[in-house]
Amino acid sequence: MDEFQSGEETSFVVDEVSNIIKEAIESAIGGNAYQHSKVNQWTTAVVEQTLSQLTKLGKPFKYIVTCVIMQKNGAGLHTASSCFWDNTSDGNCTVRWENKTMYCIVSAFGLAI
Amino acid sequence: MEEFHPHNDEMTFNAEEAHSIVKECIEGILGKVDYNHNKVNQWTATIVEQSLTHLVKLGKTYKYIVTCAVMQKSGAGLHTASSCFWDTTTDGTCTVRWENRTMNCIVNVFAIAVVL
Repeated sequence: MDEFQSGEETSFVVDEVSNIIKEAIESAIGGNAYQHSKVNQWTTAVVEQTLSQLTKLGKPFKYIVTCVIMQKNGAGLHTASSCFWDNTSDGNCTVRWENKTMYCIVSAFGLAI
Repeated sequence: MEEFHPHNDEMTFNAEEAHSIVKECIEGILGKVDYNHNKVNQWTATIVEQSLTHLVKLGKTYKYIVTCAVMQKSGAGLHTASSCFWDTTTDGTCTVRWENRTMNCIVNVFAIAVVL
C-alpha cells in the first residue's frame, strides 16, 4: 500500500507567510502617511487580507493575525509574545514595516489542527 | 447504554479568568514603575512568561499565545487589530489594557482548543 506523504502541506512555512503579510501591508498602507482617521480601517484591512490569503493556502491550520500601527513620534514601543503549543507543527512569523510617518508590525501565528 | 457527555466547562475559554490572571501579572510587574527604556524588554518578556505559566496551570487542554505591547506615553497614536480563523465554539481571546502615568500596556491572550 502506498502512503502519500505530503510534508509541505502540513507545516507552517515562514517564508510563504511572510510574503503574504508583506503584500497585505503594501496594498493596504503602501504609499500612505499616518492619518488618525484612517488607521482603524488600515489595521482591519491588513489583518483581514492576511487571514484570507492564509486560509486560501488550504492547510489544516487555525490562524491568528495581529497588526500594530504606530505613528512615528519618538515614543518607545516594545512587544513580546510567548506561545504554549506544539513545536513540531505550529509556527509564527512577524513582519516589521515602516515608512516616513509610521511603523507597522504584523504577526501571524499558525496552529495545526 | 449510557453515553458519557464530557463536561462543557472544560472546552470553552473563560475570558474573565484569563483577564484577571493577566491583570495581576501586569500589576505585579509594572504597577510601581515609570517607563524605562533599559528595562522594558525585561518587563514585556516577564509579563508574557508569567501570564502563560499561570494560564497553563489552569490545566485545560488549550494551546495559548500571549502577546504584550508596552508603549511610552508621548502623544503618538497606536492602533492594533487582530483577526482569527478558528473554531468559535471552543477557542477564544481576551485583551487587557492597562496604563499608568508614563506608559500604556496591552496584553492579548489567544486560546486554541486542542482536539485530542
